[in-house]
Parts: sequence; C-alpha cells; structure tokens
Amino acid sequence: MTATDVDTRALKFSIDEWFVVTLARTIRDREAVFHGFGSPCAQVAMHVARHTHARDMLLVEGATYAVNPDPAFIPPTGNDLALQRGATYQMRFEEFFDAAVRGDIDRMFLSGGQIDQWGNTNVTAVGAVNAPPKVKLGGGGGGCNLAATIRNLTLWTTRHGSGRTLVEACDFITDMGHRMHGTTREELGFRGNGPEWLVTELGVFDFVGGRARLRQVFPDISVEQVRAATGFPLEVAGDLRTVPLPSAVELAALRAADPLKVRHQEFSKDQLARVFEHRPDKTCAC
Amino acid sequence: MTFFLNLDKRLPLEEAVSRVHDGDVVALGGGLSARLPMALVRELIRQRRRELHLVGSAHGIDVDLLVAAGAVAVCEESYVGFEQDLGLAPAYRRAAQAGELHIAESCCVTMLTQLRAAEAGVPFLPVRGVKGSDIRRLHPEYGEVTCPFTGEVLVAVPALSPDVALIHASLGDRHGNLHFDKPYVLDERFASAAKVVIATVERIVSTEEVAAEGITVPAHLVASISEVPFGAHPSSCYPEYAYDRTHLAEYVDAAATADGANAYLERYVLGTPDEQSYRKLVSEPLERLRSWHESTAAWKELFA
Repeated sequence: MTATDVDTRALKFSIDEWFVVTLARTIRDREAVFHGFGSPCAQVAMHVARHTHARDMLLVEGATYAVNPDPAFIPPTGNDLALQRGATYQMRFEEFFDAAVRGDIDRMFLSGGQIDQWGNTNVTAVGAVNAPPKVKLGGGGGGCNLAATIRNLTLWTTRHGSGRTLVEACDFITDMGHRMHGTTREELGFRGNGPEWLVTELGVFDFVGGRARLRQVFPDISVEQVRAATGFPLEVAGDLRTVPLPSAVELAALRAADPLKVRHQEFSKDQLARVFEHRPDKTCAC
Repeated sequence: MTFFLNLDKRLPLEEAVSRVHDGDVVALGGGLSARLPMALVRELIRQRRRELHLVGSAHGIDVDLLVAAGAVAVCEESYVGFEQDLGLAPAYRRAAQAGELHIAESCCVTMLTQLRAAEAGVPFLPVRGVKGSDIRRLHPEYGEVTCPFTGEVLVAVPALSPDVALIHASLGDRHGNLHFDKPYVLDERFASAAKVVIATVERIVSTEEVAAEGITVPAHLVASISEVPFGAHPSSCYPEYAYDRTHLAEYVDAAATADGANAYLERYVLGTPDEQSYRKLVSEPLERLRSWHESTAAWKELFA
C-alpha cells in the first residue's frame, strides 16, 4: 500500500460537515420532515439523511414545498426552482401548513438568534418587547404555530461560541419550546413534543424534563468552553461523550448535495478552520 | 371580493397603481426572492404612496424598499429579510429600531387562517398555536375562543380582507386570467380575500394560451392587468428568469445606511420614470438571468 492509498482512506472534514451530518442523524427513517427558509445547514442535512439512513423519509423542501426532490445543487435562497428538481409533487402552501398544524409532520428544524434552556427560540427581536428593538431580526415564518403541533423539533445554532446565543431567557419568545413564561406546553394543550435536540457547533444537547442537557461535545471543545459560552446553568449528562464521527458515506452524500457550499453561510471563517481527520487506525478525530 | 366582470382589464402600470391609496392594507404576492411584485412596488414609490399597512408571508426587497422609501406605517409579515445569504433587511431593521415602523410580525399559518376567514365570509377562525409565543403580544386584536364541542381554548384570529393585493404572474390574458408556477405561496388566498387585485404579468397572451398552461387566478377576481416584462426583477419569475443575486447584494450593501438606500432609490426607482427605463438601466444582467435553463452549470453560475 502506498502513502497515497493511506491518505485517500483517511477522512478529512471540517466542522460544517460534521455539524450537518449530526443534524441529519436527528432524523429517523420514515419521518415527514420540513425545514424553514434561511436554514442552509438544516436543508443540506435533510438531503444527507434521505441519501443515507432515512431513505424512506418524506422530505418537504422548505419554501418550495416540493416532496422528495433531488436538487443538483442547493441555491442560496430557499424559494428557487432549483430545489424542485426531481420532485414528482409540490404541495401547495396550504397543504403543507394544514398537514403541519393537524399533526402529520414529524420533525422540523428551528434556529434562533437566541435560544433558552427550555428550547424557546427568538427570531423576532433582541431588546425589550414593548420598546423599539435593539436589533430587529427577520421573523419566525410559520414557527409560532408549527412549534405547537409538529411532533418533534430539532433546534440548531452555529453561534453558540459567541456567548450571546444560548441565553438564560429569550428577550422575545417567537417559537415555543417546553416552557414559556412558566407555562408548560402540556398546559397550553400543544400536541407536539417540542424540542428533542439542540445541535450547536460546540456540542449536542437533549432535553430532560424540558431542560437542555449537554449530551455530546466535539473533540476539540472542552466542557468548560461550553459552560463559558452558555448563558444558563449547564447540565451535563453523566455519560457525556464525543459527537460520533461522520461516515465516508455521509460525507460523500453531503458534498454531493451541496456543491455550492451554502452551509458555509452559517459559519464564521474561524469556525471553518476547525478541520478534523480520521484514520481507520485511530479511534478519534482529535 | 366583488367580482370584476369587465372584458378588457388592461391598464398602463401607472393607472393600475393609482388604485392604491395612502393608508391601504396592501398584500404582497410571491415570497422571499421569488415572484415579488416589484414593478408595482417601484411604481408605488414613484407615486409617493404613504402609510401603507403591508401584509404577507416571508418577504425581502419588496418590503425593504417600500420601507426605505418611507411608504410604510405597519409591517405584518412572517419574515422580512434576505435569508442567511445576504442577511437582515437593512431599511426594515433601521426603521424598526428607530421606532418609525409599527412591527406587527405575524406567522404564515395565522395569515393563511385570517385570509380563509375573509374568503368564507366568517368573522374569525381559530388557530392552535400562537399561545405561549410573544407574537401574540404584538396583536391585541387576537381573541380567544372555547370550542363548543371539546372545550379546547384556541386563539381566534380576525378575518383579513386586504384593500388591495399586488400579484405578479408569468402569463395573463386581457380579461385578467393569470397563470404562474408553484409555489403559489399565499397568492391564491390573497386573490380571493382582497377587495381589489392588481396584477402584472411578463406577457399578455390569448385566453387559450393561459388556459392551456392552467389558470391559477381567474379573471373575475382581478381588477386590472398590466404587461411588465421583468416585473419581478430582482426577484425570480420562473420559468422566465432566475433571481438577480448580484443586484440584491448591491441593494443590501447600499441600504446599509439611510444615505445608501436613498441613493439606490434615486438611481433605480425615482430616477427611472417607468419600468422601461428601469429595464434599460439594469439591461446587462437581465438576459443573463434567462440562461438558467441552458445547463446545470449555467444555473449554478448565476448563484456563485
């Protein structure tokens, strides 16, 4: 075996790729899954899942509402004909939202400028609610209804490290998590289960008793770094582990799905410098 | 909601837009950077319309440009911005943060439900969500209703009948029949819930041709139709053309300051007396946007 052969067997990947594969793994096979607009990482993750472990999922392509399309590339906008390639059917706007509010959609990806420990997200405004905002964000799309009824939610952010994203309490709750202003989703009669996962560029949280708990970390990040970047008291799982490595098949699916690398839009240059290498003779990617 | 039965509804753009009044509730068709009624938006700005109450789902340069021009009092959309690619909407953000714009942020589902109530002629309909979200606090007009059958308490949202809906389509005939491709977003709902529909189309063709492609919005819902090629530019209008990402980036960059936004308006909107002059001004990239269908590589190139 030559040195070149060894190199091609080694998996090299950057944080955006590992992050998107981790998002993809929150999807179970045979789920009906939706992402909103302005969500390149979630969008790519859905195509990775459909080409690897979730081949029989129902993929609803964002703001085009195309069912199981096979785009040649993911464009930088969420409402483009390029996203509909290969779809045999496109839902109407009404058709998708009706399915979602009556409980037929299994999973949706949600993000936010702020996310609190209960999985509430803020995509509306930073600052006081009853005054002009400090920063007006874009808005929540369908989130403040869909978060009540879609079966499971995968939350994500690529800005955990900023220290401003995972906060004690959202300045404004756009999309509902497990507990809003002291009231639980059960008390409000919501039929969806709420946030199941929160994936960040530092690690992966699950929700226990409605509260976020660190379950996995990336190998170049320490728990102390996560704690320092988190605005709420950090709970850590007793069996905390490293985020499982992406497989060669997952990386290939991701690179094929996203040749324009729209996923990079969610990462800073510094973050993209986080490159990992995994050789078959080693057990970790450190 | 009254039916429009004139046989020939063709109007020059300027006359069509004169049906929009200061203070009107205006529904914007299309979504994000696709099929936005941009020629109508530009003409509203040229005619110096004021105090508009905009309603829509997820929008971008249409809302931002109207806000930059000082035409808007209330914004009631589910989103205004340029996605992760080009970021927050600069003029919308500036006006909101200065307290110059009433932000009545809504939700795609709520908007859809309010339009359905108007279409059915009932005063309200319930939604299951919104409870627990601070979006509710932005809407003192929402109520609560207890289901007489199950006892479930739901948020009641009032019927919404926009004064006018602005819709851009690929094809239309002189009667006002419109054809456009999916996603229709809320355009069909706007068309039947609004009091007046003002349409622009890429091309006015025969009724047979529109019918053969499929009628998306029927003539009896449409008050006027104006032929405006590239009437959605810089958003897309497939199958005619892709969106003009370069132009959108130029806008977002310029509008980062109030002066920059004014310079953009002076150059592209107020400085062009009509849409023909607008097309001339941006003529270089326009034909390029039609090249999307030549090959995947050509299509990708437009977005690189």
